[in-house]
Amino acid sequence: MHDWQKLVRQKLEGIALQHDDAAQVVEELAAHLEEDYQYSLAAGAPEQLAIRHALQHVTDWHDLKSKIESSRKKELPMNKRVSQFWFPAFLTILLSMTFLMVIQEIGPKPWTSSAGGPAWGALRAPGFRVRMMPVAMVYLSWLLTLPFIGALGAYLATRAGGRPAAVFSSVAFPVFPYLAFFIIGLPIAAILDDHVAHNIMLPAFFIGFGAWVLLPAIALLAGGLPVHYFSGRKVST
Amino acid sequence: MIASAIKRGTAEVAVLSVFEYGALHGYEIARRIERQTKGSLRFTLAAFYPLLYRLEKQKWIRGAWETSPTGRRRRDRLTPAGKKKLTPLRSEWSELFAALHRLAGVANA
Repeated sequence: MHDWQKLVRQKLEGIALQHDDAAQVVEELAAHLEEDYQYSLAAGAPEQLAIRHALQHVTDWHDLKSKIESSRKKELPMNKRVSQFWFPAFLTILLSMTFLMVIQEIGPKPWTSSAGGPAWGALRAPGFRVRMMPVAMVYLSWLLTLPFIGALGAYLATRAGGRPAAVFSSVAFPVFPYLAFFIIGLPIAAILDDHVAHNIMLPAFFIGFGAWVLLPAIALLAGGLPVHYFSGRKVST
Repeated sequence: MIASAIKRGTAEVAVLSVFEYGALHGYEIARRIERQTKGSLRFTLAAFYPLLYRLEKQKWIRGAWETSPTGRRRRDRLTPAGKKKLTPLRSEWSELFAALHRLAGVANA
């Protein structure tokens, strides 16, 4: 006899329903699969074929889980999007910006790249106007807070039954404004503003991108990925 | 096979209709629909159970758990509100099919 309850429970792990509600769903779906399996066996099908036939009733377990959540929950689909993406996303961005402001206000001071000596900073050559060379400011203490913020965002989005794309987008949401600046704002500034020295655009882009997009994204995901993975594995039925 | 968009619209009336035979559990409902439509209407679990739960939420069907030697199963039955809903639903669909027959000659196809 095949253990359909175990299979369904595994496939619907983390379903965003009350404990009793989730247990009933598992029981009902397992009974459906069991009956189909028994029907095939009674019709003379070998066991493996009967199992395969029963499993043909589910083409996408994630889709099944998500549709059952929306049909059993007493909330509107819009609220589901809010709980799976917008709420965790705004919470992560709010917390990360608040921490950054506090750190900028009261310290500790950021790590500033000074490699290259006088080449980094303002240069005044005779006959030339002032040129600013790119300086990287990395708020290490801020970066250290980001894994916790990412973990919180991932926990909330996963608990609400968010798909991986929604979970990771909400975790990485605090870097989106910086990302938009580097891929849209900076190129536009380079084209429209003649005060921006074009010869420093590429190093500025890479330094800024690393300090404000890449490192924070890595820090956020370092906290968010394990939380999503482990809370997704938790049996909720 | 019938296209999935059309199936979605007809699923509600199909499920409500089979409850006229009395209280049924999920697998029986799905099998009955499949048999009576000669396999044209066949549901995946992702289409069938959410529909069943929505009908229950709308209070058109009501489920009760029962214990049998093979385990616990939930049987659903049509509520008075569901019965009331089924009559106009059927006539709406009959009207639609009659209109399609007249329009496209589906009956003679």
